[in-house]
Amino acid sequence: MNRHHPSFCDGVARRDFLRIGAAAALGVNFPMAGLLATEAAAARRGTLDASRNDTSLIFVFLRGGLSTIDTFDMKPDAPENIRGPFKPRGTNVPGIQICEHLPKIAGVMDKFSLIRSFTHSNAGHGPADHYMLTGYHPTASFNGGLIPNNQHPSIGSVIAHKLGPRGSIPPYMCLPTMHPSGSSAYLGPQSVPFVIEADPNSPAFEVPDLQPPLNVDASRLEDRRGLLAKVDRFQRSIEQRANSGASQLSVFSERATALMTSGDAKKAFDLHAEPEKLRAEYGRTTLGQSCLMARRLVESGVRCVTVEHQNWDTHFGSFATLKDDLLPKLDMAMSALFRDLSDRGMLKKTLVVVTGEFGRTPVINKEAGRDHWSRCFTVAMGGGGLQGGRVVGKSDQQASDPADNPYGPEDMCATIYQSLGINPHDEMRTPEGRPVMLTNSGRIIKELV
Amino acid sequence: MGVDFSHDVVPLLSRFGCNGSACHGKAEGQKGFKLSIFGNDPDEDYRAITLQSRGRRISVGAPDASLFLQKVIAAIPHAGGPRMRKDSPEYRLLHEWIAGGALFKIADKADVTGVRIEPERKVLGFAQREPLRVIATYSDGSEKDVTWLSVFHSNNTGIAEVEESGTVVTGNSVGQAAVMARFHGQIGIFQATIPRPGAQVAGGGQKAFNAIDDLVEQNLRRMNLRASGIADDAEYLRRVCLDVIGRLPTSAEAREFLQDTREGKRARLVDRLLDLPEYADYWALKWADLLRVDRQALGQRGAFAYFSWVRDSVAANKPLDQFAKELLVAEGPLSEQPAGYFYKVVKKSGEMAASTSQVFLGIRITCSECHQHPYDRWTQRDYHGMRAFFEQVKYKKLGDDEALVAEGSPQIRHPRTKEILNAHPLGTAMPEKAAEGDRRQTLATWMVAPENPWFARNLANRFWAHFFGRGIVEPVDDVRASNPPSNPELLAALTRHLVDYQFDPKALIRFITASRTYQTSSHPNETNESDEQNFSRAVFRRLPAEVLMDSVSDVTGMPEKFAGVPAGFRAVQLWDSLQQHYFLKLFGRPARATACECERATGASIGQTLHLMNSPAIQAKLAHEGGTIARLAAGTTDDSALVDELYLSFFSRLPTGEEKSTAIQHLSTRKEKRRQAVEDLAWSMLNSLEFVFNH
Repeated sequence: MNRHHPSFCDGVARRDFLRIGAAAALGVNFPMAGLLATEAAAARRGTLDASRNDTSLIFVFLRGGLSTIDTFDMKPDAPENIRGPFKPRGTNVPGIQICEHLPKIAGVMDKFSLIRSFTHSNAGHGPADHYMLTGYHPTASFNGGLIPNNQHPSIGSVIAHKLGPRGSIPPYMCLPTMHPSGSSAYLGPQSVPFVIEADPNSPAFEVPDLQPPLNVDASRLEDRRGLLAKVDRFQRSIEQRANSGASQLSVFSERATALMTSGDAKKAFDLHAEPEKLRAEYGRTTLGQSCLMARRLVESGVRCVTVEHQNWDTHFGSFATLKDDLLPKLDMAMSALFRDLSDRGMLKKTLVVVTGEFGRTPVINKEAGRDHWSRCFTVAMGGGGLQGGRVVGKSDQQASDPADNPYGPEDMCATIYQSLGINPHDEMRTPEGRPVMLTNSGRIIKELV
Repeated sequence: MGVDFSHDVVPLLSRFGCNGSACHGKAEGQKGFKLSIFGNDPDEDYRAITLQSRGRRISVGAPDASLFLQKVIAAIPHAGGPRMRKDSPEYRLLHEWIAGGALFKIADKADVTGVRIEPERKVLGFAQREPLRVIATYSDGSEKDVTWLSVFHSNNTGIAEVEESGTVVTGNSVGQAAVMARFHGQIGIFQATIPRPGAQVAGGGQKAFNAIDDLVEQNLRRMNLRASGIADDAEYLRRVCLDVIGRLPTSAEAREFLQDTREGKRARLVDRLLDLPEYADYWALKWADLLRVDRQALGQRGAFAYFSWVRDSVAANKPLDQFAKELLVAEGPLSEQPAGYFYKVVKKSGEMAASTSQVFLGIRITCSECHQHPYDRWTQRDYHGMRAFFEQVKYKKLGDDEALVAEGSPQIRHPRTKEILNAHPLGTAMPEKAAEGDRRQTLATWMVAPENPWFARNLANRFWAHFFGRGIVEPVDDVRASNPPSNPELLAALTRHLVDYQFDPKALIRFITASRTYQTSSHPNETNESDEQNFSRAVFRRLPAEVLMDSVSDVTGMPEKFAGVPAGFRAVQLWDSLQQHYFLKLFGRPARATACECERATGASIGQTLHLMNSPAIQAKLAHEGGTIARLAAGTTDDSALVDELYLSFFSRLPTGEEKSTAIQHLSTRKEKRRQAVEDLAWSMLNSLEFVFNH
C-alpha cells in the first residue's frame, strides 16, 4: 500500500536517495554513478532474488488486440455470431484446445500456459496499452499522443532499473520500434530502451549508426577517438562533473563506444548469422525475425526485449485477415520461439509473454469483425520457471467475463517481476518524492508458479 | 463539541492515505470499499462507510467491533496493514465518532478557514531535523494544533524530506525546499533554506550590471555561494546567439565580435540579434510548441496560417499581453483570425481552460477537473468555472473557410453537486449572473491585466528559464503555493520590468542578457560546483533538436534538406509538426501534443551519441565536395589559419596554444591524407561536449 512515509525497502541508503533526488529535482536526470550505486545497494541488501536475476523477459505485444475467442479460448458451443468460423483443435497437452489455424503453436502447448480469465477495465488503445505495458491504469491527465506517454515506467524500464546491464549490451531493447508506453517515466534516461529502429526482416537489416560509415575504417576510427579525447576540453573537467547534463552525456558516450566495440552486441545484432532454416521456421516476417532477434539478444545478455507487432485491430473482415495473414505469422513466430528457446536450454531462464492490449468482442459485428473488449481475454506466459501446459482461470460461456480467478495487468506484472527475481512489492519514488509501488497491489498468478 | 465525519474523520482518511490513489481512493476502490480521492466527496464517503456492506462497517453500539475500526488496526486482515494503533489518539477519535452516533456533520461546529505552519521559514544545516507545527484557524476565530492530522509533502526531496509526523529532515545538498501541509483542503507552507556549510563567503566583489544582479547576489549570500567570474567574449557570444536567435555565430561574426574593442559591444550585439529574422524564427518555434501548431489537427493550410500568426506576432514584437489577448478572444473567419485555430487543436472547453491556464498563467488545473488539486487550492468549482468561459466556442462553415463564433448561453454544472457554475477566473468570486456576450472577453481582460497575480509573472519566469535552463519557479508551468519561487524578489523585479515596459518581450530579453548573472561563466568555483539551482554560474544545456541540426549544417556548410519545404529551410523554421526527420526525432523535437514545455525532450540517449558519431548523413556533410571542410582543406596550406577557422565556426572561439599545436600536429603528420585529417578534426569537434551543449 501507499505508505506515506516509506521505509526504503529497496535497500537504498538515505544518502544515495538524497543524492539521486537532488539531481532529479534540478530537472535533469540521475547521474549514472548514483544509479549504479542504487543497483549495487539493492543487490547487497538482497531485495533481488539472486537465484532468479539471470532470467530475462521477451514480451511479444500484439498491438491492436488479439481476438482470443478466435485463438486461445474458443467457444465452439456458443451461438454462431459468437463462436465464429474457426474450429478448435487439440494440442500436445491433453484437454487443451486452441484454434485450428495455430497448428504449430499446438505442438508447443506444453511449454507455456494460457490465462483465460484475464481482465481489465479499459478498452481504448492508448490507455489499455499503457495499462498492459506498465501495470498501471493511466490517470485522467494521460496523453496518449505523447511519445513517450509513460506516466509509470514500462516493465522493461523497471527491469533495466532494478537489474542493470549484463555485460556491454543494454538491458532493455525494443524491436522493431518503441511503443509510446515503452519508456521509463520517472526512472530517467538510464532506463529507457535501446531501440533498434530497423526491421529485422528487411534483407539489409542493420542496427543504425552502430558502425562507423563505410569510408571510416578501424584505424581512422581509432584516430578520431584519440583526437576527440584531446579536443573535447570538457571531458573529465570540473564543468563535466558540475553539470548533470554533461556528465550524463559522457556516460552515454561511454556506453555507445562500448556498444560499438562490443563483440557481444555485434554478434547479437548479426541476424544474418542465423541458419536459413531457423530463420524460415520463425517465418520471414517482421514478427518472426523480431522474435528470433529477441532470442539472440537475450542470449547475449539483454534482460528485456519487447517485440511489437501491429495490425491486430481487426474490426473489419477479421476472419480472412486472421486466417490468411496474422495467425500464420503468429503461429510460426511463437512456436519457433518456444521450441528454439527450449532446444537451447534457455527456456527456464527466459520468460515469454504474448498478449495484446485487450481482446475483442464476443459478438461478431456487422463488418465480420470484432471490436475492442477488455473485460475478458487470454494472456500466454511461458518459460522463466513458470509452469507450462496449463490453463489458468476460465471465461464464461461467451468469453465475455471471467468465470473464475480473474487476473489483471497488475498481477501479470507481479508475476513477471517475481520470475525475474525482482520483489514485486518494492517501492520506488518519483523525483517529486511520491512513493510508487512497483506493482499496483499485484498478486502472483499462483497457478503458474 | 462532538466529533463528526466531515470535520474530523475526512482529514484522518487523508492523513493515513486511505483515500489515496493506490488504496481505496482509486477509481475502482479496493476490495469492495471505495473512497473519493483525497476526500473529495465527503457525502459519498460517509455513505460508503456507514451504509455499504450492509452497515457492518460501523457499529454504534459496540464501536470496537466496527469493521472499520477492526480494519484500521488490522485486527482482521487488511491488505493495507495496520494504519494506526489501538492506543493512539487517532483511534480514539474514530472511536469517539462512532460512539457519538457516527454523525455526518454537527451543524454549528466551526469550519476550517486556514492553515499555517510554524515556523514559516528557517535556515537549516545538513542532516538536520526540524519538527513543524501545523495550526488550523476556524470560522469562530479559534486555533488548533492539527499537526497530527495533516499530510505533508516536500517539493524538493533531494534537499529536504518530511516525515509523516511533520518533521523535516535535510540531506546534504545545498538548496531550498518548500514543505506543504494539507489539512481539510487547506494548505500551509514551510520554506527551508540549506546554505553551503563553512565560512561565509564574501561577495565575489564583482559589480552588479543591473538590478537583477543585486537580487541574485542577495540570494547567493543566503546560500553561502559565490558566483563564478564573468564569461569572456567568446563564451558570451556563443551563449547569447544560441539563446536569442537559436544558431551559432558564423566564424566571420565571431571574428568581428572578438576583435571589437569598443565599449558596450555586448549590448549592441543583443540589439543586432533581436533585429535578425532568425530571432523571429526561433521564438516562433518556441511559441508554436506551446500553442500547439499541430498539422495533424489543423491540416496543412490551417497549421501554416496559425503558425504565420505566431511568427508575425514575434517579428512585430507584439506586446505579450496583446498576443495572449488576440488568442483568447479570437473570433470570426479563421482566414482573418488565424489565432482562432488554437481552439481547433484544443477541442474541448475543459482543455481550453487548462491549456490557457498552463501557458499564460503557469497554473495546472487539470487535477481539479475530477477532484481538489492535491497540492494547491483549486477545486472542481475553479476548474469548471474556467471551463465555462470556453463553452460558447463553436465553428461555422463559411464557404471554404470556417468562422469561430462564441455565442449562446450554455450552462455548466458542478459534476458532483450539480450547482450551476457561472464563468469566473481562478481565485475570484463567482458572479451571480452569467456574463452576456462572448464570455472570453471577461477572461482575457482579467488575465492580461498588469495586476493579474500570475500572467506577467509567468511570462517573466518563462523568459528567464529560456536563458538559464531553469525557472525561478520550476517547472515553469507548475505555479502553486507549494512550489514557491527560489528567489521571489528576483521574480518580482522581472515581472515589474515586463509590466513597466508594456509587456515588450525584446525589452525583457535586453534586461536579462545585460545582467552580470547571465554573463557569468560556466566555469565553477570551489563554492558552486554542485549548485545548478541558484544561477551562480551558467549551467550546461543540451542544444534543442532543431538548433543542433542547424549547427551541424552550418559548421559543415551543408544545409539539411527537409521534405516539403524549399531548399535552404532551416530546422528552426520548420512549422510542420508532422515533418518526419530521424535526427530531429532522436534529439527530442516535440509532437505538440500538449501545452507543456516538458514535451520537448532535452535528455541524452545512446542512440543520439551513436548518431552523431556514426551517421552516414553527418559523415556525408563532413566529407562533401561542396562543403566547408573540403573547401578549407583545399583552400589553405596554412594549418594555423585553418585551425583558427574551425575553432571559430564550431566553438565561436580561437584555440588555446595547446589546442592549436595538437591540431597542427595532427594535420602535419597526415599530409598525404589532408582532407581526411581535416574531416577527422571536424568530427572530433562535432562530437565534443563543447559543441553539443550551450554553456
